[in-house]
Amino acid sequence: MSIQTSGLGFVGQSVARIEDDRFLVGKGHFVADVQPEGGLHAAFVRSPFPHATITAIDTSEARRLAGVVAVYSGAELNEGTHPFVPFVASPGSYSPLYKPMADEKVRHIGDPVALVVAESRRVAEDAAELVIVDYDLLEGVGSIDKALAPGTPQLWERADGNTLHDHTDTYGDVDAVFAAADRVVTLTLDSHRQANQPMETRGTVVEVDPATGHLTIHNTSQGPHVLKWAIAAQTVSQGQLRSLWQFLRNTQRRKAFFAAAKEFRRSNAADLKKQDNAAMKGQLKKDRSLLKHLGQMGLGLLAKDDYPTVTSVDIGGGFGSKGPVAREDLPIAIAAMRLGKTVQWIEDRVENLSDGGQAREERFDVEMAVNEDGTMKGMRVDAIVDAGAYPSFPFGAHVLPGMWKVYMPGPYHVEAFQLRTRVVATNKGRVVPYRGPWANETFVRERAIDAVAAELGMTAADVRAKNMMTEHDAPSHFLTGPTIDETMSTRKTFDRALEMIDGDEIAQMKADAKARNHRVGLGIASYHEAAPGPPDFADAMSPGAGMLTKEDGRATVEADGRIVMYTSQVPHGQSHQTTYKQVVADEFGVSMDDVEINWGNTDKSQFSFIGTGGSRGGPLGAGVMRKTARQVKNQMLEVAADMLEASKDDIQILDGNIHVSGVPAHGLSFADVAGEVAKRTGVALGPVFSHAEKYEGVGNGGWSCATHVAVVDIDLDTGKVEIPKYLVVEDCGPIINPAIVDGQVRGGVAQGIGAVFYENTYYDDDANLLTTTYMDYLIPTAMEIPEIEIEHLETLTKGENDFRGVGEGGMIGAPAALTNAVSDALGIQVTEQYLPPSRILELAGVIDPD
Amino acid sequence: MKNPPFIYHRPESLAEALALLAEFGDDAKILAGGQSLLPVMALRLGRPDHVVDIGRIPELLTLDAGPSGTTIGALVRHAEAERSAAIATHAPLVAAAAPHIGHRAIRTRGTLVGSVAHADPAAEMPAVCLALGATMVAASVGGTRLIDAADFHEGYLTTALEPNEILTEIRLPAWPDDAGGAVVEISRRHADYALVGLACIIEVGDGSITGAALAFFGADSTPVRVADAEAVLVGRPPAESAFAAAAEIVSARLDPPSDIHGTANYRKHIAGVLTRRGLAEAAATIGVTA
Amino acid sequence: MSTEQVNVTINGLSHSLDVEARRTLADVIREDVGLTGTHLGCEHGVCGACTILLDGQPARACLMLAVQADGAEITTIEGLADGDEMHPVQRAMKEAMAFQCAFCAPGFLMSTVALLEENPNPSAEEIRKELSGNLCRCTGYQSIVAGVETAVRLLSSTGTAGVNQ
Repeated sequence: MSIQTSGLGFVGQSVARIEDDRFLVGKGHFVADVQPEGGLHAAFVRSPFPHATITAIDTSEARRLAGVVAVYSGAELNEGTHPFVPFVASPGSYSPLYKPMADEKVRHIGDPVALVVAESRRVAEDAAELVIVDYDLLEGVGSIDKALAPGTPQLWERADGNTLHDHTDTYGDVDAVFAAADRVVTLTLDSHRQANQPMETRGTVVEVDPATGHLTIHNTSQGPHVLKWAIAAQTVSQGQLRSLWQFLRNTQRRKAFFAAAKEFRRSNAADLKKQDNAAMKGQLKKDRSLLKHLGQMGLGLLAKDDYPTVTSVDIGGGFGSKGPVAREDLPIAIAAMRLGKTVQWIEDRVENLSDGGQAREERFDVEMAVNEDGTMKGMRVDAIVDAGAYPSFPFGAHVLPGMWKVYMPGPYHVEAFQLRTRVVATNKGRVVPYRGPWANETFVRERAIDAVAAELGMTAADVRAKNMMTEHDAPSHFLTGPTIDETMSTRKTFDRALEMIDGDEIAQMKADAKARNHRVGLGIASYHEAAPGPPDFADAMSPGAGMLTKEDGRATVEADGRIVMYTSQVPHGQSHQTTYKQVVADEFGVSMDDVEINWGNTDKSQFSFIGTGGSRGGPLGAGVMRKTARQVKNQMLEVAADMLEASKDDIQILDGNIHVSGVPAHGLSFADVAGEVAKRTGVALGPVFSHAEKYEGVGNGGWSCATHVAVVDIDLDTGKVEIPKYLVVEDCGPIINPAIVDGQVRGGVAQGIGAVFYENTYYDDDANLLTTTYMDYLIPTAMEIPEIEIEHLETLTKGENDFRGVGEGGMIGAPAALTNAVSDALGIQVTEQYLPPSRILELAGVIDPD
Repeated sequence: MKNPPFIYHRPESLAEALALLAEFGDDAKILAGGQSLLPVMALRLGRPDHVVDIGRIPELLTLDAGPSGTTIGALVRHAEAERSAAIATHAPLVAAAAPHIGHRAIRTRGTLVGSVAHADPAAEMPAVCLALGATMVAASVGGTRLIDAADFHEGYLTTALEPNEILTEIRLPAWPDDAGGAVVEISRRHADYALVGLACIIEVGDGSITGAALAFFGADSTPVRVADAEAVLVGRPPAESAFAAAAEIVSARLDPPSDIHGTANYRKHIAGVLTRRGLAEAAATIGVTA
Repeated sequence: MSTEQVNVTINGLSHSLDVEARRTLADVIREDVGLTGTHLGCEHGVCGACTILLDGQPARACLMLAVQADGAEITTIEGLADGDEMHPVQRAMKEAMAFQCAFCAPGFLMSTVALLEENPNPSAEEIRKELSGNLCRCTGYQSIVAGVETAVRLLSSTGTAGVNQ
C-alpha cells in the first residue's frame, strides 16, 4: 500500500473498533435508551385496509382510558401543517403532496390515521384499540399490472392513472444500432419487494424545553439535517405576510440571509445554471398548491427564531431506510409541541415491516442488440417501479430513473442505449433507498448478458470479456455521460476473479452434484458504482445535482491541545468513529486516543442533505476529515515553527511530539502550541485552530468496482440452495480499515442472499400485506449465509484522497451473481429475482405450479 | 407491541389452577413456557382476561422415562428433554424432535406439553405424539380424562381440550426394541417452523418391516398419519424401494395448504422426499442401511 | 390490571420490583432496572436481541413476563464484564471486529456465553447452529463466528465461559 500517511500509520490497519468499548458492554446509546424522566409514549392507530375512505373517527372512548394524555385524529394533527413536498422532480414526473397523517383516505395497510399519547406505550396501545374508525373500502391496488390496468382505482387524483412518472432517455442512435445488429435477445425480468430491516426499528424522542419551547429530537435519522428543516418547515402555521413582516423587520437576520443566499448562488453558480426547471414546471401544472406551501414554509423558516436540534448517538443500522424523514416524525413532534412535554415513539417490528421502508419491486423488459460474435451493440430497457403509496421525502422511487439511466449499461461498451422508466403508485408501504439503490440495474444487465451468452452458445465469461472496458479506455466518457478514469477498474476485478476460479474444481463439483440429484452452477456479476463518482456523475443523473452532494467537515484543535473533529456523517454501523480517528491521527501524527470525533448533533455538524448514505462515509466523509485536518495541522505548524525558531518545512510530528526533524527531545506538545495561541489571543476555551470546508472529492476519481462469483448447489429433491463458494473481488481504492471494509462487503452480500432466497415483502393483488412479522419476513441467519471470500485490489489515482466507497457494493452484485448461478445450475434463464425452494423446483421442472 | 392487560394468577397447586379454570373458562389462558402465548399476546392477536401461570406447580414437573413408557409433565421444557439421557434411550423420537424445535433460547423456556396444547400444525411435538400413539391426560375440577393423540388435535390451533381443562401430562407407550425413529423436516431457514415435517417409526423383524408410523406436520391443519403408506411398508424389507413406494402414496394422499412459503404441490413433493429420507434415517438408527 | 411483586437478582444485585403483570422481563430490565443493554428488535421472539441468561440458560427476555422471573438469577450484557475488565467473550468479539451497528450484539454475546459454557470447543457448524437464533443484518455473520472462535481461544487459556457473580 502506497498511501501517503504521516505519523503512526493507522490507515490500512484493521485497528480494533473504538465503538466496541461501549457496544460490547451494553453501553451503546440508541434512541430507545434515551428514556427521559416523565416522557410520554405514543402509539399510532393504523389502517387495517389497503385502500379506503375515512368517514368518521371517534376517539372519545380512547380519551377516557386511564393513563391517556391525548388522542388526535389524523385531521387534528394535520391542522396547521404543510405536506411533504416533492424534492426530486425528474422530467415526466408528478409527485403527490401528502400530509403527515392520513386524514381523508388511507392508502396502505399501516397508514397512520390517529395518534395516542399516554403514560406508557402499553396504555397507548390499549387506547389505540379503542379508537373507532369508519372506513368506506376502496379496491386495493397490489401489483404493477393492476396499477396500470384500465379501470383500476386511482391512488392520487391528480396523477395520470397510477403513473407518477414516465420518461424515456436515449443515448446514441438506438433504432439504427438495433437494426444493424445480428440479433436481439429479449427477456422480462422481475424483482420483488424487499425491506431494509435494520435490527433497530425507527424511533423519535422529542423533548420540549419548557422555558423556550426548543425541541431536542433524539432520532434514528441517517440524515438529521433534513429532518430538522422538515419539522421546522412543515409546522409553520402562520401566513406568508406575517412571516415576511417578521423577517423584514429583523435587520440582522435579513442581512445574514441575503449574504448567505448570495454566497450560495456564488458557490453553486455552475450547478444552478445547469438545472432544468422543466420538471418542476410539469409538477406545478398538476398541483399549484406547491407554490403556496413552499412560500409559507420558506418565509416561515426565515421568520423563525428557533429550529429543532436533531441528535443521535448510536443507530442500529439503516441500509437507507432511515434516510427519508419518517412520516411519524412529524406527528410526534407536533404532539410534543402541543403538549409541551416529551413524547416518544419507538416503532415496533410490525410497524417497521408495514411502512419502515421497502424497495426493489420492479419490472424490466430488456432488449439486447448483439452480433453473433458476442459483441454488445445496444440495450433497450422498459422499466417500471412499484413505488407504493407515498413518495419518500426527500429521496424515494423518483430518484431511481436517474441512477439507472447512468449505470444500466455498466462497465460494457454499447453504442446505443434507451431507457424508459415509469414509476407507479400502489397501495403499499413506501419505497425508500435500499443499500445499492441501483442494484437492479446490475441484476438486469448481468442476467441479460448471461441470456445473450446462452443464446449465442458462448460462455457468459467470454461475452463479458469481449465487451468489458479495460483500463485503456480511460480517459474517456461513458455513453451515458460520466467520465471514465483510472479508477474504472471493473475489468481488473473480473480478470482477477477468473484467475481465482478453478474451472476443474467447478466441473468436478457439477459432476458430483448430479450423482446426488443436486445441480451446481456458477454465476458472475460485474459492476461499477459511483463512490463518490467523478463530479460529472451527479450531472449525468440530474443536471446540477452535484451541489447537493458535497460533504462538510470541520477540524479544530482546542486551547488545551485536543483535536476535535466534526462530521456531518451519521454512523449507523459503518464504524466512522474508528476510521476517522485512524485518518485524522495519521494526518496529525498523533495516537487515535488524541482525536475526538463529533457526530450526530445538528447544532454541531454542518448542514448535509444526505448525511450517511451512498457509500459517502469513506471517500467524502473521511476525505473531508483528512483535508480539514491537514489545514489545521498547517496552521499549527506555522505557530510551532515560530516557537521552535525553525522553518515549517523542517518540522514533523510523531506521536504527538511536534519537533524539528532529528531533534525529538526538544519537541512541543499540541497543548504547548495551542496554549501559545490561546495566550496570544486570549482565547482560553474552545478551538484555537479551526478549518471547515465543503468537499466533493478530488480529481475525476471515484468509481468503486467489483466482480462477484457465486457457486450454488441446488438440491433437486427439496429446492433448497446452498452456496458452497462466494467470491468478491473488489476495488475501493486504498483501504482505511480492512476488517471494516470486509464487514461491509459481507453484510451487503448477505442482504443479497436474503433477497434472492428468503426475503419477500409480500402483498397480494388487493394489496393486503402478508409479511408483518419475523415469522414471515425471513432474514437469513448464520446457517444460511456462507463464508464469503474477498480479494482486494487497491487501484490508486493521482488524487490526494483516494478512498472510495464500499458500503453499497455487496448488495449490488449478489442478486445478479446468484440468479446467474441458479440459471447455470438449472440450465435455464431465470427471469425473477425471488427464488424460494418451491419456485426453484418449479423452474427445475420437478413440480408444477399450483 | 406490548401485551394487553390481563389479571394474573399464579396457583401453587394443580387443584388451585383447575379451580381458576373452572371459574374463568374461555376467558383464561394457561401460561407455562409462554413461547407460543406471549408472541400472540404481544401482537394482540390474543387478549385473555385472565392468565393462569402454571409455572410453579410441582405436580407438573414429572419427567419419567423408562422401559415401560414415558410420562412428560406440563412443565418439562424442551431443553430438559433434549438433555435427558432417559428420554434419549426410552423416547428416542422425542429426542430426535428436540433439536428441530426453535432455537436454544426458545427451548430453555418452551414446554413439550405446551407445544402439543398450542396445536400449531407445523410443530414437531404434536406429530411425535401422533406417531407414537400417545395418551393425553386432561385434568379438570371434574376429574381426569385420557384422550388418544389421534383424537386430540382437531384443527388449526384447536384441540379436544375443554376450556376448563389443563393438559397435565403426555404418556408415551414403551419404545419397542426393534424400532427406529426419526424426525425430519424442511423449513425455509434453519429452525423455522417446518414447511413439512415427518415423525416416523419403523419396526423391523426378521429382515422386514413389521410396523410403521408416518406422522406429518405442516401438511394439513393438524398432524396427519398416512395409513396407506404405512400399510405398504409392512412386510417389505426396509429398503429404498419400500420407502419410495410409501413416498409415492404420501405425495398422492396429502392435501397440504399453500402459502407464501411454499405451494401445495411443493409440500406434497417434499412430503414424499421426507418419507424416503425419514425412513432411511429411522432404519439407520437400528443398524439397517437402506 | 394486576400488579405483582417480583424479586430477581440481576447481575448479582437483588431487586424487589412492583410490576404490572403484563409487562415483559425485557421491558422491566430496560425501564425499571435501567439496564438498556438488553435490546428489543422484534418483541415476538425471533430476532434474539433481547437474549439474557436466566439461571444460566439463554432465554428471550421479550417472551417472558417479568413475574415469571420471580426468584430467578438473571445475567444481562452489563453483567459480563468484571468491573472495567471485559469478559473474554467481549474481548474476543472486539478482537474479531465481530459487529457493525451492534444493536444485535447483546443477544449474540449472551448466546455465545451460554454456548461456550456448555460446549467449550464448538465446531464452526455448531457455532452457526447455536447462533442462528440471533439475527444480524449488518455483518453476514462471518465475523461473529470468528469472534466465537476467538473466544474459544481466549477461554482455553483463561478458564470457563461463565459469569462472575
